[in-house]
Amino acid sequence: MTNEEKIALIEETLDIESGSLNPETELLSVAEYDSMAKLSLIVLCDENFNKKLSGEQIRAFVTVGDILAFLD
Amino acid sequence: MGKFENKYILITGASKGIGFTLAENLDNLGAKLILHASSEDGINKLTESFANKGHLIFRADFSDPLSLEEAWQSQINQDIKLDGFVNCVGLRSRRPLNLLKPAHVMNILHANVASFIEMCRLVCRKNGFNPGLSIITISSIAAHSGGPGVTAYAASKAATEAAVRCMSKELFKKEVRVNSLVCGQVNTEAYSDLMETKASADDVILERQYLGLGSTQNITDILLFLLGKESCFITGSSIPADGGYLS
Ligand SMILES: NC(=O)c1ccc[n+]([C@@H]2O[C@H](COP(=O)([O-])OP(=O)(O)OC[C@H]3O[C@@H](n4cnc5c(N)ncnc54)[C@H](OP(=O)(O)O)[C@@H]3O)[C@@H](O)[C@H]2O)c1
Repeated sequence: MTNEEKIALIEETLDIESGSLNPETELLSVAEYDSMAKLSLIVLCDENFNKKLSGEQIRAFVTVGDILAFLD
Repeated sequence: MGKFENKYILITGASKGIGFTLAENLDNLGAKLILHASSEDGINKLTESFANKGHLIFRADFSDPLSLEEAWQSQINQDIKLDGFVNCVGLRSRRPLNLLKPAHVMNILHANVASFIEMCRLVCRKNGFNPGLSIITISSIAAHSGGPGVTAYAASKAATEAAVRCMSKELFKKEVRVNSLVCGQVNTEAYSDLMETKASADDVILERQYLGLGSTQNITDILLFLLGKESCFITGSSIPADGGYLS
């Protein structure tokens, strides 16, 4: 899966306007990135990438690129 | 002689957490147990922990309620008459509405609601139990207070409590009691998993639960009371065991 496809998937999961995220986007600047969005990320990683995402790992994410790196 | 000497008690979801502690306690108190789990690991843990104790093992997948009748009849001697049934199976679900697809919701409802009702039906058939049978299912504070992300789980627990209130009124003539134990947060593997995946450090739960995190023994003590004759005047109830959470 390309980075563009992953970003599209993240946007869809977080219910964010498509095209609004890029790898440099800081998560703190995304209004929709709240605790439910983080829960959605956990489900996304589990169901689409078969990866277990922990609370600690989520707290370490600063940019969208950090999420992409985790999904690799 | 133990308090539950020669009493037959079925524990579904006996391989972990609350169900496992209950099994250890009842074993010490002389009960004859039917111990259930669905996974191979769970079954192995039960056979290793209770080797040579003469208890029975029951393996069934609650995600498939349609399979339970065949599993129950083929694995368990149908001459056994039960004195107690405690249901500790409860699949967790934490996901926001946008990811709450029907297949996921149905799996939770199958395992937590349909399979519990099906087990009650199988256990309560003619000659399947002794008068005085006590049935208890473990519910959750989520059924009463709710919270974001736990829609499917909370709905399933609320549904079991509603089912309990109906079954108690049907079954009292057969001298069967049915109750729900509404648990707050209890220190189990499932609770550790929940804390591990929590996106933000969150003490809110335990702030409301002012008696602190419960232990599986706290819950077991109440289950033993509800299984015994001392609780013969309690049926159809949702009994809180929540460290004050719902108060
Ligand atoms: N822990 C808490 O803080 C808490 C709070 C409120 C309510 N509760 C409720 O208390 C009950 C027990 O929770 P727990 O945390 O002690 O234990 P748990 O980790 O939820 O495990 C309970 C049992 O469920 C069995 N199980 C899992 N998937 C199953 C399936 N598909 N079919 C049949 N059985 C299955 C497990 O056996 P195998 O995996 O070995 O098959 C295990 O023996 C649940 O109903 C839960 O909702 C717990």
